Amino acid sequence: MAIRDIKPTRSELIQLKRKIKLSERGYNILKMKRDGLILEFFNVLEKAKTTREDLQEKYRKAARMSDLANTVEGSISLKAAAFSVKETPSIVLKSKNIMGVVVPQIEASKVRKGLFDRGYGLLATSSVMDETATAYEELVDSIVRAAEIETTMKRLLDEIESTKRRVNALEFKVIPELTAARDFIKMRLDEMEREELFRLKKIKATHKD
Amino acid sequence: MALVSAPGSYIYVCTRLRVRRSSLLPREELLRMLNMELSEIIRFIGETGYKKEIGELSTLCAGTDLDLIEMALSWNMAKEFHKILEIVPEGLHGFASAYLRRWDFQNVINILRGKAQGMKAGKIKEVLIPAGDLDREFLDRLLTEDSVEKVVAALSGVRFSHIIEGIFAAGITDASLMTLENELIKNYYEDLAIVAGSGVKGGEIFLDWLRMEIDFKNIQNLFRLREYKEKGDILSLMIPKGGIPVADLVRLNGIEARGEFIDALKKKAGFEPLQAALEDLRKERPIHEIEIALTRVLLHQMSFMSKMHPFSIYPILSYLEEKKYEVANLRTIARGKKVNIPTEEIKRYLVI
Repeated sequence: MAIRDIKPTRSELIQLKRKIKLSERGYNILKMKRDGLILEFFNVLEKAKTTREDLQEKYRKAARMSDLANTVEGSISLKAAAFSVKETPSIVLKSKNIMGVVVPQIEASKVRKGLFDRGYGLLATSSVMDETATAYEELVDSIVRAAEIETTMKRLLDEIESTKRRVNALEFKVIPELTAARDFIKMRLDEMEREELFRLKKIKATHKD
Repeated sequence: MALVSAPGSYIYVCTRLRVRRSSLLPREELLRMLNMELSEIIRFIGETGYKKEIGELSTLCAGTDLDLIEMALSWNMAKEFHKILEIVPEGLHGFASAYLRRWDFQNVINILRGKAQGMKAGKIKEVLIPAGDLDREFLDRLLTEDSVEKVVAALSGVRFSHIIEGIFAAGITDASLMTLENELIKNYYEDLAIVAGSGVKGGEIFLDWLRMEIDFKNIQNLFRLREYKEKGDILSLMIPKGGIPVADLVRLNGIEARGEFIDALKKKAGFEPLQAALEDLRKERPIHEIEIALTRVLLHQMSFMSKMHPFSIYPILSYLEEKKYEVANLRTIARGKKVNIPTEEIKRYLVI
């Protein structure tokens, strides 16, 4: 808002004071929200780090077990067992609110299965097949967990970024401009008051003479 | 097929099998192979009993080194089993050929699995061992069929076709394929029990082996079920006709504490080496180690029984089982080497 566009009136001053008060309150709230989101982000970041490490470890284990099953049982048996799963896992997508940020909450079901639910013939296979299936079930669990945490982290980061922009805009643009306008009006009103006083004194002096 | 049936034939077969057993690769050689490359393994087994197959397939096999090894092992095993069947005395021939029928359902399972997964006929053929009633030509014909349905139709008339037709009556799915596998294995053991009880001389000893074999399979499965705390339909996983009744095995599966379970199982276990092995399994171990430890005890006990009953089916079965595990070990080493599995890891899965 350019200073020259401001009308130096008392009502304008009252309006500006209200705006400044509102902006300062908004600034404080957004600053608190930003700090809260950063705190929450660091918590999630810690979880994301461990989840990512866990995911990589589970992936390595599953790949190693797959190689072992291929080695012990052969590729035909392994492939047949892998495609014999009767029920595929399903996920339910819910959402939760962290300081106004809507983050996903993923619940997976039918990932971990009992020996009889895996679909492959138990008498014609050895336990290495069970170990491989377990390793892959753990991997799927880990992927679902990582997807939830990493999406949460991404959404929090986006929100922190936009909140930071708002805080900065209030701190360095909106509030200083409003304060400058208020000061200008105050100065103009004081000046007008002094002019008025001087004019009155002049009139009084003229009447005395 | 020339069946040897003279009185001295048992001594002759016994001696031949002793010679053949001595030509099996010893533990040290298998351990040495763990440190070799695939090409070195081919050269190495090409200088042993697998020389002929390696020589023949080197020019015929267009695949990789691993394909060559897999094919050579399958050919050698089938040839070896047929040779054994030729020298087996007439009295034991029925038992040996009944035992070898395991390769029939094994081959059919592999073909059905391969066809269901759309694998090439050549790849499936690598793991087929035509050592049972279904010969190479018949298996080749099955391999030319382009779908599971056509393979099933082509199997009409074989020994276990009624099981296949029964299970696939409601349609062929991956799940029904797996049910079929379990049922074929159970049918195989039932078939063996019928052969053992047919009144042929030596049937009691064959039945004795059969009970032991089923008990070991059931005990291995019990450990497998315990590993996953499985309380579902465990009857479907237990093979009947063993020394330990299925009802007892179901009860054993209900025991929570490992110590109590081992104690109860030891009471049911028939002979000392198995009891010692079970005692060793008191502390928690990975399930594959338990399976391998029990398989070793079974092989050891069969070898022991073949010395106790030298003129029975035992020396033949003992040799056939040892040959089977030699081939399985060689396959494990070769496949493990192909995908760069560490030596120590491969070693843990060898039955040596």
